[in-house]
Amino acid sequence: MSPGPSRRRRFAAGMVAALILGAALSQWMLARARAQENRFRASRVAVVTVSALAEVAERAGGTGDGLRRAVAAFAGGDSSLVAARVMVLDGVSLEASTAPEDRGEKAAPRRLTQDEKPIYDQAQRLRAAVETNHQEGAARKPEIEVASSASGGLSLAAPLEKDGSVVGLVALETTPLPAAPHPDWLFSGLAVVVAAAVFWLMALATGERRTMLALVACLVLVAVMVVLGRQAFTAVSGDRRATESAVASAVTAEEGRAAKALQEVAPGGGLKPLQPASWDADLFRRPLGVIGADGKVDQAKFEQGLAAGASSTARVIGAIAVVALALLLFVGLGAASRLGATISKHHQAYTYTFPAIFGMLLLVFLPFLYGVVLAFTDSSIYTTQAPLSQVWVGLKNFVDILGDFHIAKSTAAGLVWNYQNLYWTLGVTIVWTVTNVAYGVGMGLFLALILNTKGLVFRPIYRVIFVMPWAMPNYITALIWKGMFHQQFGVINQIIQMFGGTPVAWFERPATSLFACIATNAWLSVPFMMVICLGALQSISADLYEAARVDGATRWQQFRSITLPSLKPALVPAVILSVIWTFNMFNIIYIVSGGDPEHSTEIMITQAYKFAFEQYRYGYAAAYSMVIFAILLAYGVWQNKVTKATEGI
Amino acid sequence: MSTSRRSQEFPHLPLHLILLVYVVVTLYPLLWVFTIGFSGQQNLMIVDIPANATFLDRLRAIMPWPAHLSVSNFTSVFTEQPFARWLLNSAVIAIATTVLGVFLACTSAYAFSRFRFPGRRVGLMSFLVSQMFPGTLMMIPLYIIIVQVLGLGSTYLGLILVYSITAIPFCVWMLKGYFDTIPRELEESALMDGASAAVIFYRIVLPLAKPAVAVTALFSFMTAWNEYIQAATFMDKINMYTAPVGLKFFVGGFEQQWGYFAAGAIVTSIPIVALFLFLQKYLISGLTAGAVKG
Repeated sequence: MSPGPSRRRRFAAGMVAALILGAALSQWMLARARAQENRFRASRVAVVTVSALAEVAERAGGTGDGLRRAVAAFAGGDSSLVAARVMVLDGVSLEASTAPEDRGEKAAPRRLTQDEKPIYDQAQRLRAAVETNHQEGAARKPEIEVASSASGGLSLAAPLEKDGSVVGLVALETTPLPAAPHPDWLFSGLAVVVAAAVFWLMALATGERRTMLALVACLVLVAVMVVLGRQAFTAVSGDRRATESAVASAVTAEEGRAAKALQEVAPGGGLKPLQPASWDADLFRRPLGVIGADGKVDQAKFEQGLAAGASSTARVIGAIAVVALALLLFVGLGAASRLGATISKHHQAYTYTFPAIFGMLLLVFLPFLYGVVLAFTDSSIYTTQAPLSQVWVGLKNFVDILGDFHIAKSTAAGLVWNYQNLYWTLGVTIVWTVTNVAYGVGMGLFLALILNTKGLVFRPIYRVIFVMPWAMPNYITALIWKGMFHQQFGVINQIIQMFGGTPVAWFERPATSLFACIATNAWLSVPFMMVICLGALQSISADLYEAARVDGATRWQQFRSITLPSLKPALVPAVILSVIWTFNMFNIIYIVSGGDPEHSTEIMITQAYKFAFEQYRYGYAAAYSMVIFAILLAYGVWQNKVTKATEGI
Repeated sequence: MSTSRRSQEFPHLPLHLILLVYVVVTLYPLLWVFTIGFSGQQNLMIVDIPANATFLDRLRAIMPWPAHLSVSNFTSVFTEQPFARWLLNSAVIAIATTVLGVFLACTSAYAFSRFRFPGRRVGLMSFLVSQMFPGTLMMIPLYIIIVQVLGLGSTYLGLILVYSITAIPFCVWMLKGYFDTIPRELEESALMDGASAAVIFYRIVLPLAKPAVAVTALFSFMTAWNEYIQAATFMDKINMYTAPVGLKFFVGGFEQQWGYFAAGAIVTSIPIVALFLFLQKYLISGLTAGAVKG
């Protein structure tokens, strides 16, 4: 082996690369976390304000001059507010506003103008959200809406309630958010330089021994990551503390302002007392409970939140450390230089394949891996923002899918099938696949045998006509047949009535519904098999039949010992392909029956789609798809074995 | 001799009768679409039938010939409905998919065929395996990547990328098989004459591989032109629908506009059916070749 470059230098290069990557990534994540906290703080303070304002507006009766005075007094004392508005759904009227544009002619009270319809829509949305959450006893739809305003501040809207029901909204807009703290590049830069220097000194002492160098490098890198992690944690917890004290002082301040505003409505008092403890809430108006009734931060709760934050910081920094370590070892152990050498040696081949490989990685393999990971989570449309570690459920989805044997339960009215059960759907899928492929092969072979008759006239015309269903886009075929199976107007029921039958409601019973789908697919799957069979039949030498006839073989004997064996090489792959195609034939089921009635005619692939895009249970649907994948894989392996075994004969 | 062979054959007349029955089965749905399309109305019924219809009334109702011939469905689907826009969307997406997909497949298939490099076998095998990934498993992450991460929902680019990349494995295997049959001596002599690798690829190999490139292009085009469910998932703005999504939209909702659907379906399928019939020989050989390998 050639001496090559010094191992020490190689490790030093890897060290520097890993340090820079680790430091940059952790600073970037920290900056993101701090910017998030900054916005979170502003929005929590603003939620306190909007809740206080909503309570003031409610106490002030939600309408009238008193309300306007109270709102003006409330907003006047707060320099962080650009505008506060109260809007009432009944009469679509703007009851109070301190916005600069609502002066003079446009001063409240007035009806909303045409271009202010979004405010009305927002109020309707909030009302619906409050009602939904109340009915479901859950917090599913946000009852306070927070958005970024045009000027860089926040604009919030909260429901205005009267006697327990939503009658309008209160909205406010804050001044632009304070800038997020800058990342501390100096500190991390210093850490990188010092660590690199330390490593170099230690490496000089270690010599060229690879294991020792790797050990030293890993130790230094881990130490640096620990330092960076501590820095990040200090910064994040400082921000948290600042948030809590900002919220606590906001609650006190708003309480004072609200009390003053209510003085404007009822100078002598007599209104229901304010409830400042409920103002610090999440977007579902559930009090967070960190700020106690006395306006002080509840230390125990705060520490608890901090501990959770610390473990999530540790997770992120740990992940970054793993990536940096991988880079370090990749460069240090020489894999990087070997890879570089390979790429430069075969650079032409890699240039040619790179675009396709990159595309496949991004849009085929990455989604596949992501899908596999999703299968172990209960990710849904409500948790798309949550990190995967929070929605991780392990094998639960698979246990739910595979372990659910409640296919049917017997009731007084007879058996009631559970159509969403895997085994029901699997049964339907098998019936669907076997029937279609069997019909396709049978009919295709039958037509091919007829078309192969010597001297048959018009053969090319028949052939073109019979191929048409294959050429048609299958979604159009599906829609056509759906129209023909229409209960009232479809031609198929017309034909049944023509012969005195009663029209069939095709899509109201599982059996007839599945029949309609199979009829459609049968129509479009015959041509493929027919063409394959015809090709194979035409390649059989006529001499074989001649010889058989000379030997006195009957027609059936000829078919069995000449035709069928000659068809096999072409037919076997075609059947394999056809089974997979039919198993995955999404369009026909999805369009013709759509699973009706009640998902009973769903095949696995359409059922998985519905789990994902109608029920939005991404994790469950991914696990279901994995089951499909496993079935197809098992089929492929089995088919391979059987084909190999029969090939020997 | 000839008479004895004749006696061995089936009489042709019953064969023709059987074939004719199947011709009716095959053609009826197609004639039905034409009938609805040229009926000038949105109704599923070919003719209105009286309350207590006789056998003949019913027979007339299933005859694929409209009560009144009219092309109004065709004109209004283009003028009153955004169908022209949907057709344009489909055409843009299908053509761009074809160009991008064929380009990607040609270059990488050439490398897989001509160069021996680390990762070649892994690459080829992984392309094959990827064909077995279930569509729905891919669709959720793809939706998240394309729509939520890249922000390409309801754009041409999103669908073009998805279509052209998912067509790559089939196209690469198909083209690689063809490239393998082109003798290397041609390229070697061009190399002796001082031609660069790029010149060899574009001037010598690609022109020789024309038939295979044509099949690949047709396959990519048909995939993109006929694809329904991904387009329905990724395109949620009405003016960005592709023709398949638009056709389903005509009859999927509460209001069922079968006339528009039929007219649109005819316009959408004619080019693709013609292309298919014209090039079916190549397509079928390509499919079966892929099947044998797969």
